[in-house]
Amino acid sequence: MIEVKNLVRTFNSGDRTIKPVNDVSFVLEQGTLASIVGKSGSGKSTLLSLLGALDKPTSGDVAVNGVSLAGMPDAKLTEYRRRDIGFVFQQFNLIPNLSAVDNVMLPMEFAGMRKAARRQRAKDLLEQVQLVQDKHDRRTNRLSGGEQQRVAIARALANEPKLILADEPTGNLDEQTGDHIISLLSALSRDHNTTILVVTHDRALANKTDRRFRLQQGKLTEDQAHHRTPLPVTA
Amino acid sequence: MPGEGGSDAGLPGRHLNHRRNVSVLARSVGNAFRNKVRTAAVVAVLAVAIGLALAMLVANQAVGAKVQELNASVGTVLTVNPAGGQGFEGGGEPLTTGLAATAAAVPNVSAVVGTSSLRLRNATEAAAQTGTGGQGPGGQGGPGGQAAATLTTSLTAAVDAGTLGNRNQQANGTTGSTGSTTTQPMRSLPITATGIGAEVDTTGKALTITEGAGLGDYTAESTNALLGTTLAEKNNLTVGSTFTINDQTYTVSGLFDAGTTFGNNAVYLTLPAAQALAGLPDELSSMIVTVNSLDNVASAKTALQDALGTDKADVTQGQNLETAVSSLGSVKNISFIAFVAALGTAGLIILLIMVMLVRERRREIGVLKAIGAPNRTIGLQFVLEALVLAALGSTAGAIIAAFASSGIASALISTNSTGTTTATTAGRGMPGGVPGGGAGFPGGGAGFPGGNPFGGASQLLTSVTASASPGVIAAGIAAVFGVAIIGALVPALLTARIRPIEVLRGE
Repeated sequence: MIEVKNLVRTFNSGDRTIKPVNDVSFVLEQGTLASIVGKSGSGKSTLLSLLGALDKPTSGDVAVNGVSLAGMPDAKLTEYRRRDIGFVFQQFNLIPNLSAVDNVMLPMEFAGMRKAARRQRAKDLLEQVQLVQDKHDRRTNRLSGGEQQRVAIARALANEPKLILADEPTGNLDEQTGDHIISLLSALSRDHNTTILVVTHDRALANKTDRRFRLQQGKLTEDQAHHRTPLPVTA
Repeated sequence: MPGEGGSDAGLPGRHLNHRRNVSVLARSVGNAFRNKVRTAAVVAVLAVAIGLALAMLVANQAVGAKVQELNASVGTVLTVNPAGGQGFEGGGEPLTTGLAATAAAVPNVSAVVGTSSLRLRNATEAAAQTGTGGQGPGGQGGPGGQAAATLTTSLTAAVDAGTLGNRNQQANGTTGSTGSTTTQPMRSLPITATGIGAEVDTTGKALTITEGAGLGDYTAESTNALLGTTLAEKNNLTVGSTFTINDQTYTVSGLFDAGTTFGNNAVYLTLPAAQALAGLPDELSSMIVTVNSLDNVASAKTALQDALGTDKADVTQGQNLETAVSSLGSVKNISFIAFVAALGTAGLIILLIMVMLVRERRREIGVLKAIGAPNRTIGLQFVLEALVLAALGSTAGAIIAAFASSGIASALISTNSTGTTTATTAGRGMPGGVPGGGAGFPGGGAGFPGGNPFGGASQLLTSVTASASPGVIAAGIAAVFGVAIIGALVPALLTARIRPIEVLRGE
């Protein structure tokens, strides 16, 4: 469960103070697929960074399964990102000179898993995101955008995180590939009881999520009419 | 956490780190070749810097070993010449056996060896010149001269007069004892015969006997002689052959190699034999004084000078050797500075390259941090990448050093020995060629040539062998790796300052 309490993040720009995240509070149950929509510059990515411990809030707190991130030392935050968080970026952010398998293996390497075990798991994950086998050992800079995003999702799943944060995961993809990626995230959320929070411009994508939030001038509001209870976890 | 079967559960931290490090190493090697053209360029530049550093280290070690060898062999030797006289030039009073006894009593002096130097002329040539009239030798020397009468020998000098010898003959002929300005007939060079009280040359260095044996008891009169290799060859003499000096027959007991053409045109006799030939049994041309330790040389030199008196003797610490060692010391210093500079350059190259790579890969570093890479793993990755570059540069640099070390060392030594050689030559006294005209020696000094006729500073310098030994190369490469680690640490630490959010905000 993710609990966000009175989260505030301010930036100074000259003599102005900007508050992209202004007193945001919400709770996400485990296994929820949620989306945050909002205009460009509304603070969506900043909120995602705070939830993923890439940035520190000015005030407020994020707690994952009851463990507060506030005041956690950097080394612990790194461990939190490694163990509990999976990131999917709009630009994929794969390591270009490594193969798809090697990219997926990276988080498991940082977690200290044996090479043979992490290789096998990386291959399983790539199959799960439907990347054809003969592309597993191909360098990621030689894959298409859709293929790269699948590799990025597989990498985000590597350490079985509790929370996947996806920043515009379909932003660079065509509609068909984007739909496939959303179906994939939805299935992951359902099958692995993983909480997934997607930041998007894409209203169609947002409509496919269990809960839909809107971020406007730093304030987060939920579309209550859209609130759905996540489907039970399948065996 | 996934894959519990192959997971890290319960594993000690060092095992986890080991697994990470192996993968980081593989990734670092891969990253080093990410841009092959740039890697080749970086390695080429590094190879030049590292090669230069290793070559300088090799030169430094070679020169250091030579200095040590020189100090160990002749560094404790002092030379005593008559005051005002050096070699066959100058004036003053000859040294005596009494002064040798005085020298031996000086504190820290462990040995005193007297020498008596003679100049020999070929008997046939001397007779022919006497027959021409007006060109007869005017006797050997004035005050303190070697011998009252001309010493003749059956030996023919092994050194041709050549341009220098003829020039010297002509120069001396115009001011010779006859006062004649007419052109003198060509003659061969004189041969130096030295009576020695021990089996050492005039610098106190042990004689290198290549054939036969030494003279046995050097303090007893004997008809045995040691000949320089080229002199023996010129006269078709071998061990057991005989020759004459002033009609006295001498037997060749051994051949020596002084290392120079001039030095090998010489004869060694026992000290009493030379003194008897000169007809001056109590006189010495020079004394070789050995001090018990290198630390006591300076004090012994002062004490010796005081004991013998400045009006009677000049005490020197082998000027050639001093100059040579000093010059070698300069080469050693220069090579060390150049080694440090080249090493620093290699470190700077690595530092700048790695800073550039860190800046270039900021986004990648941010991503690695975002997915949970610890700072030390990322830092280690960059350090290892720098070491891969350093290893490649060192390999190429070692090859360069293997080929260039000798040439660089020679270039350094020859550059630094130019002044030394000039000084040495000036100190050699008679550089060759018998004075023309009356064949008299221009000076009456009984001393041996102030310089070392059997090998000067230039010889000492050029005999330095710069060989790229594996030990020195390994030490140099270890230093390169040390510098590479320092050079890579700064950029590696920079990676720790990179905050993923700053990098990923550009999304």
